[in-house]
Amino acid sequence: MAEEQDEIEIFMPPNVLKAKVGNFTGVDMSAIKRAETAMDSLKGNFAEWAQDDVRRLTEAREAYAKTPDAPSRAALARAAHDMKGQAATFDFPLIARVAGSLANLINDLPEGKELPLTLVDAHVNAVQVIHKQKINDTSNSVAVTLAKELEARVAEILD
Amino acid sequence: MTGYRFDKLKILVVDDNVHMRKLVLTILQAFGAMQLFEAESGERAWSILCRQNPDVVLLDWVMEGMSGIEFARKLRADTQAPNPFVPLIMLTGYTQTTRVREARDAGINEFIAKPVSVKTLMSRLTAVIESPRPYVRTKLYFGPCRRRRNAPEYDGPERRAGGASAQAAE
Repeated sequence: MAEEQDEIEIFMPPNVLKAKVGNFTGVDMSAIKRAETAMDSLKGNFAEWAQDDVRRLTEAREAYAKTPDAPSRAALARAAHDMKGQAATFDFPLIARVAGSLANLINDLPEGKELPLTLVDAHVNAVQVIHKQKINDTSNSVAVTLAKELEARVAEILD
Repeated sequence: MTGYRFDKLKILVVDDNVHMRKLVLTILQAFGAMQLFEAESGERAWSILCRQNPDVVLLDWVMEGMSGIEFARKLRADTQAPNPFVPLIMLTGYTQTTRVREARDAGINEFIAKPVSVKTLMSRLTAVIESPRPYVRTKLYFGPCRRRRNAPEYDGPERRAGGASAQAAE
């Protein structure tokens, strides 16, 4: 063990980035403001962008239902995982929450067990409805209740 | 306040989602970055990396083909890499501790948990510029030090032979 520790080499490479960008004089709030304005200008596209993810999730669900094997399950898991990250960025936090619940179900249920398709469908349907109704508000009581219910069902199955 | 000269940096954005790439590139452009490159896969990113030698790479984890983690391992280990020290910032939907540890072990410098926000992106870029981690080379690992940065409040035992953290601070 001591031998292994002796072979640790630690060094600090030259800070090339700092040499290029100059000294830090505090957070450049004008850059932050510019970027937030630029991001706001993209918001009009968010529903359409999220639609691509909804379509991909729906297709992955159909492929899994038709042939429930390891590759189709992996594709479904990936679609759910991607949606979890992207929907939150594209201003659909409740879609992200539901997609996260689906990703947990797929990733945490042992490989040997087939996914409960009705519960998968419940997640996919919830995503479709939230997107169709453009629900961005995390306090929307119907959508929040739905998300909680889905999470509870997943927890029961994984328990 | 003038801020950083981000126009001096070459930044590579790797994500298989075209919209996510567009969003990140838009933010970076607003920061003043002008030398921007994008890739939709790990394989394409590797090709761009070898040609352009970027200063920073923003990297998705889950991608078809070579994943972000595989890209990071290759970058740190492959002798063809133009700069094995290039900071890697991972954008990911994974937040579990085990995943974070896996990414650290692959040589990731910083994380951005999705959703991506302007402030978080600026904060992680500032971190790799202002507080770069020392690099560690062992038989099994090469990459940024996986310890947290300087923790002056820590008064526990030095667990590395030869006071390695003291060397790192020099």
